[in-house]
Amino acid sequence: MEVDSIPQETQKKMEEIANADLVVGILTDLDQEGIAKVSDALATLSGSPRVALLQNDDSSNPDHGKHATSDKNTSIVVIPWPQLRPLTPDTPVLSVFTAYRTVFAASEKLGAKACCILASKLETATPRWVFQLAQPLLENNVDLVVPRYASRKYEGLLNRSIISPLVRCLYGKRIHNPMGPDLGISRRLFQKVAGAEANSRPSDPHPLASLAPTALADNLGVCEVHVGSRTYSPTDWSNVSSVLAEILGPVFNDMQRNVAYWQRMRGSVPLPSFGEPVIVSQDAGPLDVSRMIESFHLANRDLEEIWSLVLPPASLFELRKIARLPVEQFRMPDELWVRIIFDFALAYRLRTINRDHLLKSMTPLYLAWVASYAHDLETTGAADPEQRLDRLSVAYESDKSYLVSRWRWPDRFNP
Amino acid sequence: MWDQVKQALAQSTAGLLTTFASFLPRLAALILALLISIILGGILATLVLQSLIRLRFEERLVRWGIPTLAGGTLVKSPSLLVSRVIAGLVVLTGFLIGITAFNAQWTAQITQSVFAYIPNLLTAALLLFAGGVIARFLARSVLIGAVNMNLHYARLLSVGVKWLVLVLTAAMTLEHLRIAPAIVELAFGILFGGIVLALALAVGLGSRTIVSKSLERDPKERPSEPIEDALRHF
Repeated sequence: MEVDSIPQETQKKMEEIANADLVVGILTDLDQEGIAKVSDALATLSGSPRVALLQNDDSSNPDHGKHATSDKNTSIVVIPWPQLRPLTPDTPVLSVFTAYRTVFAASEKLGAKACCILASKLETATPRWVFQLAQPLLENNVDLVVPRYASRKYEGLLNRSIISPLVRCLYGKRIHNPMGPDLGISRRLFQKVAGAEANSRPSDPHPLASLAPTALADNLGVCEVHVGSRTYSPTDWSNVSSVLAEILGPVFNDMQRNVAYWQRMRGSVPLPSFGEPVIVSQDAGPLDVSRMIESFHLANRDLEEIWSLVLPPASLFELRKIARLPVEQFRMPDELWVRIIFDFALAYRLRTINRDHLLKSMTPLYLAWVASYAHDLETTGAADPEQRLDRLSVAYESDKSYLVSRWRWPDRFNP
Repeated sequence: MWDQVKQALAQSTAGLLTTFASFLPRLAALILALLISIILGGILATLVLQSLIRLRFEERLVRWGIPTLAGGTLVKSPSLLVSRVIAGLVVLTGFLIGITAFNAQWTAQITQSVFAYIPNLLTAALLLFAGGVIARFLARSVLIGAVNMNLHYARLLSVGVKWLVLVLTAAMTLEHLRIAPAIVELAFGILFGGIVLALALAVGLGSRTIVSKSLERDPKERPSEPIEDALRHF
């Protein structure tokens, strides 16, 4: 895996240290005090591993040019890396993947046994998170450490409605945040991903998003750590469809890559987890879902022609029924939502229509699910959103036979 | 004198009848050539169509992504199109053979002008195909983008974009075929300008409420934060 260009100062620093046991990539801005805290947390790892801390260091960082070191342990070296922080607000997901690729390349160059990536803003992500992500990698021989955030009921909805239950259904493991973004990855796993990326066609989405599917399909060790709550980016309503397309593209690509594995998998089991769960207040107030329902109504009128290329008649009929419901009774059944996801995954594989069009046309359906989910929580008074989402995951698993049948016989099995 | 008139009349009639008598076999040859070519063309077209159906030609095109791009804009059944093109070529060949019976020189001239025109025909066909594909792709992009932006005139925008591209394609194709270029240029200008004006009016009239609200708003007034701001997708 090659990095496009390593700045001169960074190269010099990497040559000085030559190798490291652990590489930690901090993708957000960090001041001197923050660096010192991270260093102190890492210093408590057993065996005093040699740690290279990649820190975003560009001119916008107020502490540009200053580097902190830990007083406790001289085996932690800070390497400044300009432009490590994702910079493009229009394509936030792709820019995070680019930053991941940089950290993997640096880990490979330094011969590290593992790497950790901290992408969350540090007002919520305590320095302890790095220690929690690194410890299982170095001490328990785990290959992938994924975080389990303490989320509020309206946070991380894309992950909770699609990515997490889909990964659970396909690969049989209950991962709550398969796409991090704060992750711990072993050398074995990032070399596998780097190999997949090297063989992939230029037109394929970036495989860094498929860390969890690769680890699970290859039976590598995966565990979860409870890390507390993180700050999510506010919704950019003009960009929801682009985010959806950027995230679901790699997810659906992984389904094609690992089809031999997931078609045999049935049921799911929880992952080994570390740390104590953190409880956060679920009080978020009522949500105005009218905009999302309006978007669905508009799409039901104008995009039905496109949806009819992807969804079977039964699903289209159900969507028309939902569109006629009054706002206060707006509900999308979990079974319908699950089949929609499966049908879109199949259409992605068959290239029924242009893939970018396909994923963007899914946006109103996703917003309809969000509106239905918000209604469920308010009207049924569901105190625990986790229970509600667990029901959704069970629906994914229950309907897996539908996915397998349609995947194998797309022309013959079309209810 | 009457004898001379009668002789002249008899000679001209005999000449006409001789010419007509020599023309008839050639005409018969042309008709026969056409009939045979039509029959042969029909048989060949049927054979080709059956073969393409057996080979699942249309499914292979789907896998290669071609009909998903054309998507029925130009071609409902590619197999039928191919068979009809082959039948047409056979009939054309029969016609050229029939023409040769009249005068081989005519055939050479016709063949020369037909072959000189073929590159224009091929380019025009390519232009039409590409234009249709691009029109459909752009229309779909605009439709999905506009729906995701909650624009109620999304479909109108999409149709407008599609027709803009199709009109442009048709004008380029006709110009390539050298068919009434001056009229095509004028008609294209009027049509294109008309479509753009219609779209501008539709967008402008559709957004006048938004524009007037934004003009009326006090610049010092902060817009209230939407309640849905509690949502975090990723």
